[in-house]
Amino acid sequence: MDPQVELGVRLGIPLALLVLAYFTGAAVERRHYASIRKCELRWRGLPAITLRTVPPSWKVTECTLITGSVVISVDYFKRFLAGLRAIVGGRVKVYESLLDRARREALMRLKQQAVEGGYHAIVNVRLETCRMANARNSESIAGLEVLAFGTGVKLLNAP
Amino acid sequence: MKFDPSLPEDGINVSRTNLLREALLLVGGVAAIAIAVAFAAAVAVDLVVPHIPIELELRLFSGWFDRAAKTDAAVDPREQPLAKLLDRMVGHWPECPYGFEIAIWDTPEPNAVALPGGVIAVTRGLLEKVESENELAFVLGHELGHFRNRDHLRGLGRGIAFSLLLVAVGVGGGGSAVELASLAGQFAQRGFDREQEIEADRFGLALLAAEYGHVSGAAAFFEHLSELGGPGEGALASYFSTHPLHADRIQALHGTAHEMGWALRGEQRPAFSTSR
Repeated sequence: MDPQVELGVRLGIPLALLVLAYFTGAAVERRHYASIRKCELRWRGLPAITLRTVPPSWKVTECTLITGSVVISVDYFKRFLAGLRAIVGGRVKVYESLLDRARREALMRLKQQAVEGGYHAIVNVRLETCRMANARNSESIAGLEVLAFGTGVKLLNAP
Repeated sequence: MKFDPSLPEDGINVSRTNLLREALLLVGGVAAIAIAVAFAAAVAVDLVVPHIPIELELRLFSGWFDRAAKTDAAVDPREQPLAKLLDRMVGHWPECPYGFEIAIWDTPEPNAVALPGGVIAVTRGLLEKVESENELAFVLGHELGHFRNRDHLRGLGRGIAFSLLLVAVGVGGGGSAVELASLAGQFAQRGFDREQEIEADRFGLALLAAEYGHVSGAAAFFEHLSELGGPGEGALASYFSTHPLHADRIQALHGTAHEMGWALRGEQRPAFSTSR
């Protein structure tokens, strides 16, 4: 292959992917945040709290384990920047929004489960994060899962 | 106890940041570091190489390349005349510290390589492509130039330093960083390669002039190359990948010939006339 063409291909394809991923990633993130905010507003009245035990005034009639989880993929642009960031160190700002979206989305799914099951509140809420390794190259991550879980309670005297 | 149904605050857990600015800073920074390291490694190699004694080089590398090469050459009738031609060229380099060995590699891509330990490998493809003894003499002279400047060790040293850099980057940063560092490193080393090729050409030209009284072999070789196709076209791609044919390489060649008063035209002898 002509060295110029080879250089063009070696540079061009990743560059095109980077530009594409920058725009698709930004659009996906914008839409995701919009939907997260809508859900948060909708279910703001349902308490999802981290207390390990129910407050003494609550009369619990029924309880169960409730989970909400989400898997989010890293886009090419973010992965590329994070790879460079790993060399020089510092805050991996490109991953902050990714994790933030995943945590909030997982909580919203947790609340959705509770609402659909007729529960009035979720106590002892916990969050777990798990990174999913690429099969091909375990150094880089393919995406991450955030799992939110807690105890859904039905109350006689709903707050 | 009262439940506070307030919404999560945006912008605390997520830094308000311009991603493009972040991208430019990171790409620019890492590329600059990679270029600086590759450049420093190349300079360090250039500083060290002249101080490596020839005996050490021969002890380290003798037997590395010649065994595989000899099996190819044993069946090639052109080995003898090629070795004779090489002897004649070396004859014009009185202080030559090496005892050279010729190897003929049985590959169709035309190329010639100077290998550590004093082995000059020439491919079957090159022997088929050259049209005269003079052209072949220039190719050998060029490789001898690499030995005189010890470019074969420089190339090896830079290669090792470069691989180490990429491994280090790979451990730290992963795929994207390796790709970026590799591009940056190649960019940083480009100038070194060009300088070496031009220097080797100069030496090859001097040997050619001493042997034939003119340097038509070099001129013919380059014309011949451009007739066969530009860089990258089919058969010659491999030659160009190790011998970048910059326009300034030809220009430098013409400049040197002019400066030294060497004729660019002259009678050429057929290749391998002695064997037929």
